[in-house]
Amino acid sequence: MAQSLLKSMFAGGYSKLFTSPANRRIPSPTPHQFQFQLRINAFSTSSNSSRDFLSLSDELLMDQCEMNTFKASGPGGQHRNKRESAVRLKHSPTGIIAQAVEDRSQHKNRASALARLRTLLALKVRDAIDLDGYTPPLELLQILPAKSTIRGSDVGSQIGPNNPKFALGMKALLDLIYAVNGSVSEAAKLLGLSTGALSRLILSDDSLRMEVNELRASKGMKPLK
Amino acid sequence: MTLCFTRTIHSLPFKHPRLSLSNPSKRPISSFLPHSSSQSPPLLHPISPKPHLPLFLRPPTSSATFSDLQKFHSWAKGLAFSVGSKFLDSDNGPDTDLLCREIKWLLEDAVEHTSILPHLGSSQNPNLTGSELIRLKLDLDDLYSLWNQRIEERRPFQYIVGCEHWRDFVLCVEEGVLIPRPETELIVDMVEEVVSKEKGLRNGLWADLGTGSGAIGIGIGRILEEGGRVIATDVSEVAVSVATFNVQRYGLQDKVQVRQGSWFEPIEDVMGKLAGLVSNPPYIPRDQIPRLQAEVGKHEPRLALDGGDHGMDDLLHLCEGSSIALGSGGFFAFETNGDEQSELLADIMTSKSENRFRDVKIKTDMAGIHRFVTGFRR
Repeated sequence: MAQSLLKSMFAGGYSKLFTSPANRRIPSPTPHQFQFQLRINAFSTSSNSSRDFLSLSDELLMDQCEMNTFKASGPGGQHRNKRESAVRLKHSPTGIIAQAVEDRSQHKNRASALARLRTLLALKVRDAIDLDGYTPPLELLQILPAKSTIRGSDVGSQIGPNNPKFALGMKALLDLIYAVNGSVSEAAKLLGLSTGALSRLILSDDSLRMEVNELRASKGMKPLK
Repeated sequence: MTLCFTRTIHSLPFKHPRLSLSNPSKRPISSFLPHSSSQSPPLLHPISPKPHLPLFLRPPTSSATFSDLQKFHSWAKGLAFSVGSKFLDSDNGPDTDLLCREIKWLLEDAVEHTSILPHLGSSQNPNLTGSELIRLKLDLDDLYSLWNQRIEERRPFQYIVGCEHWRDFVLCVEEGVLIPRPETELIVDMVEEVVSKEKGLRNGLWADLGTGSGAIGIGIGRILEEGGRVIATDVSEVAVSVATFNVQRYGLQDKVQVRQGSWFEPIEDVMGKLAGLVSNPPYIPRDQIPRLQAEVGKHEPRLALDGGDHGMDDLLHLCEGSSIALGSGGFFAFETNGDEQSELLADIMTSKSENRFRDVKIKTDMAGIHRFVTGFRR
């Protein structure tokens, strides 16, 4: 998914990027800069954890963002008829950028950009966890298959990648996999799953798979397939 | 089907189904026009026009096979690619990228089930044989003719599909009514900000003069509290009927009343009582009209664009009238052509209006242009 996201982000041919008035001092980044920023793997955040960001309401998360829209040059207003409703959100605390262009309405594009931002925050911002006496948080248990031995029946049915709550569980899973240096078998043990079952869970979501494989590659491990 | 479209498009009858409001018990459009019966030089068209039903609201009365729709899709893309940056270079019009996005939106509005659309572009579809019937809201011939009009005549996309997505509304538009612009969305944000601070504005009476499709009036109607009302006016009969339709579609007929007439004429009964007054009047200087982007200059109503020699005729009239129309503490927001106009207008409203206004401010749009003038009646 991350790859398709990258593609969709730069598909449009915008002549100019304007920053919203409140933030005009910040120079407009070029598409290359976006790509650069997206390749940054893990952000270190001192005061906020990404869990804090992800549990924010849309409104509060939006408050942490700088919103840019794309407009062609020229006088605008009544002079122009163009549906340029693209929205680009830059999450100020982390510098993560999410964008949406495909809908006619700026309102809808803002909602999709925000949903993408949540996924990117889950994927890109890591929190350190303590492996001693580790117990997975509820949001991680919710994305595990029912056969997990540590997953009580009170957790409810398994949440899949299309559910907006998946991002939070994915984030907790990535924190764990980072803590065990990319070892799927070790993470699986802590989650009461077989290595194969956890591996299948990771492979069920493209962005999750890519993120795990990037970490494994950096540790000289073979990618999951 | 042969893909030959050399015939002139006007020979293709594009059917405009006439609107029928879903609830027949609702008051007829004419009852929204308080002066039409009592005070009347007889109208040229005795029956007020009914707006065209936008494509997305029409019933799926037609159909085409999947492969015929695929042929349309690739033909339409071919036309879009033939444009390249030609329009962009000549008058800042749409380029291939934007036109391709419009094809997607056109099809979204034209088909009954949008789930097949992602498969149109790909050649290999194991689950589709090509002979499946796709239900359409217009004949395939008309779809061809519409896209031809888009490219050959530069007919605005919004008139093609009969709607514009504005804020979180989908507003019906047609020839004769200005297509609401994204900049104008900000006026509603400004109103939202002031009404959140003052109850008197929240449940007061507002006016949107020159409402066009009804956009600003509807946007404000939705944020006002119980008791708050909006009068949306327009001199154009088409605009009045389209705005009325849009108001009813969003169920705001108890909040937003549409009246026909020029600027302050239709609100004489409420002069001095308004809590707020907003307008996006015509503001383009007359000598710039011939050089406008073809979609705008050739298709949108000149009445809604042409602001006289310096583009300020209507803004100055509004500025003058607002000191009488607004009650004490009333808020105003006007959209302008930008920088020079807003500075001039703000200057007039601060230093040359006998101290009638306070907190006069210039506000920028998303592109950083000084687009709006706002303030309060003392």
